[in-house]
Amino acid sequence: MSRSFGLILVVAWLLTPRTAGAAGNSMAVSQELDAQYTYIAGAGTRGAGPGVGSVSEHSAGVKYVFSPQVTKDLLLRLGFEWQRFSFDVPGHAPIPDTLQQASAVIGLDYQFGDQWLVRAELEPGMYSDFEDSRFRDFNAPLVLGAAYLAEADLQWFFGVRVDLRSNYPIMPAPGVRWKFADEWTLNLVFPNPRLEYDVNDRFQVYLGANVESGTFVVGDHFGSDHGVTKLDHATMDYMAICVGPGCSWKALPSLTVEAGAGLMLQRRFDFFDENTTIRNHEAPYLQIACHARF
Amino acid sequence: MKRMIFWFGVAWCGIVVSTAYSQGTGPLESLKRFSAIQRIDLGKMLDGEILAERGELMKFHNGITAETCFVAPIPPEDAVKQLQIWDPSPHESLKVYAFQALHDPCEPGDFKRLSFRSNQHSVRWLLEKTQAGAPDKSDLNLSRTEARELAGCAGKNSDPDRIASCWTKLLVARAASFQRQELNGVPPYETTGETVQPMTQLRAMLDEELPAANEFQPILHRIGLFGGANDAATLEPYYYWSLFDADHHATINLGAVYQLRVDDHFQMVDVEYYVSGNYYTSVTLYEIWPIRVGGRSGSLIWRDDFLAAPMLKFTKGTERLAYGAIMLQEIKKEIRCFQDDMKAKQ
Repeated sequence: MSRSFGLILVVAWLLTPRTAGAAGNSMAVSQELDAQYTYIAGAGTRGAGPGVGSVSEHSAGVKYVFSPQVTKDLLLRLGFEWQRFSFDVPGHAPIPDTLQQASAVIGLDYQFGDQWLVRAELEPGMYSDFEDSRFRDFNAPLVLGAAYLAEADLQWFFGVRVDLRSNYPIMPAPGVRWKFADEWTLNLVFPNPRLEYDVNDRFQVYLGANVESGTFVVGDHFGSDHGVTKLDHATMDYMAICVGPGCSWKALPSLTVEAGAGLMLQRRFDFFDENTTIRNHEAPYLQIACHARF
Repeated sequence: MKRMIFWFGVAWCGIVVSTAYSQGTGPLESLKRFSAIQRIDLGKMLDGEILAERGELMKFHNGITAETCFVAPIPPEDAVKQLQIWDPSPHESLKVYAFQALHDPCEPGDFKRLSFRSNQHSVRWLLEKTQAGAPDKSDLNLSRTEARELAGCAGKNSDPDRIASCWTKLLVARAASFQRQELNGVPPYETTGETVQPMTQLRAMLDEELPAANEFQPILHRIGLFGGANDAATLEPYYYWSLFDADHHATINLGAVYQLRVDDHFQMVDVEYYVSGNYYTSVTLYEIWPIRVGGRSGSLIWRDDFLAAPMLKFTKGTERLAYGAIMLQEIKKEIRCFQDDMKAKQ
């Protein structure tokens, strides 16, 4: 894993002087930094036997992408993503304490014709509970997306996530961004579909959903340690769906800070190979995030 | 070689290109010399096709450019006139609330169509920003003197007619200054945290688009926008103002359109020498040639739009690609409306 991060840094270092320097143009390199933290209060559990109690969650994530412009229509995307879900698990509930993603980001953006933008992004890395990291923790989901820029106020999105480890190896996600009134925007783009209202040029409130998901491998002794041996080194689809209001503040032209709260509708740990699914009941959540573009 | 293949292809398709203007140094050859648009099918363009090409990324952080090329089914002399006087306001999709020519010297009566009596959110936005402005700070593009005078005139008064009369005073002063001193009479914007001279922004963009700037040197030089001394006295511009929606914000602009006949074709430059907000300035270059394909004739119009906006400095990467693509869509929308109006006039 550290070698792949090292490779990314070397490639980024090589591209910086060549791309930006060749054009002598600082505008030819862009960077994205997204960070978020979410707390979900204790949620009752179903599917893990009696007396499991409630499970609360802290999750945090950071994604950094360095994007040099190679040609007029082509941008590379190189970076890393780290995400960690920590669960306060009572007793011996077969829920991992931690799930983590530590991956590289390798991709590209390309403009086709006048109105199409496409993105391909591979995220090779480790997706597991990090109890006993091995090669089988390695995964490389691929995200393919296309945006049709119909006009300034209307764009259509077509996305698909390909993850061969998942119970749903191909997950399509169509979307639309439609500014249907001066102050209102319907921004139905996965994984954060929202209805947005612009209070002013800098401040926005929204009602939206947040879907967090991933496919992870648990440790060799995870099942044994929790009294369910069939779950040793099992593969698991994780998903949490939260809905609620939030607000977004453009603190600087290049920095947006967001805060949201509401209800987690469902959280699911699906050990699909072993026909074992653990679900959590509804619970309140809080989320803060920031997005920098520079 | 490519050009020969193109012409053989056209002949093979049975389309007879019979215009004298298209040979040797004709419009297509001229255009390909300075334009990024290289594949041109005049037959399709006479049917309404609009060619478009997003510009290269500029070193000038605030700038973006896009080229388009289209045909209007009218003679070049008419096209030049129509491009100057065309009123886009009847086309609802273009969100132009008012467009008006200015006298020289301009008069307050030229702005009688400037109205803030509207429930449109974008117009209310401009009204509120006008009221919220302080003598030394405003979200609008103003000089310190203008900010002080506008704050003194509008104050906290929310009467739309009062606000309109305050703006009229400001716009008359700006337009009169430009009419007297041309580009040297454009005051800077000083109230948004940095001093911005619109003409400096335009020159910075033109400096990066040398093929187009060199092509337009005859006219740009005479209006003093590129290539040294200003000898604009011999060019009579068409002055105008308009009120329109830019990114859901009402915006007032002042502009001047210059035209010049160069051999068998025309060059035009449309300069926005004042914009009330959202962006700093823009310039549109037009080159217009006569064309004839088979029995059909018209004007081949090449257009290059340059826009300088503060937010472009922060619009990089994919967002910049998307911004450029959407800018092209908006320009094409405007061109389609123009073509429709010209067809209707036939």
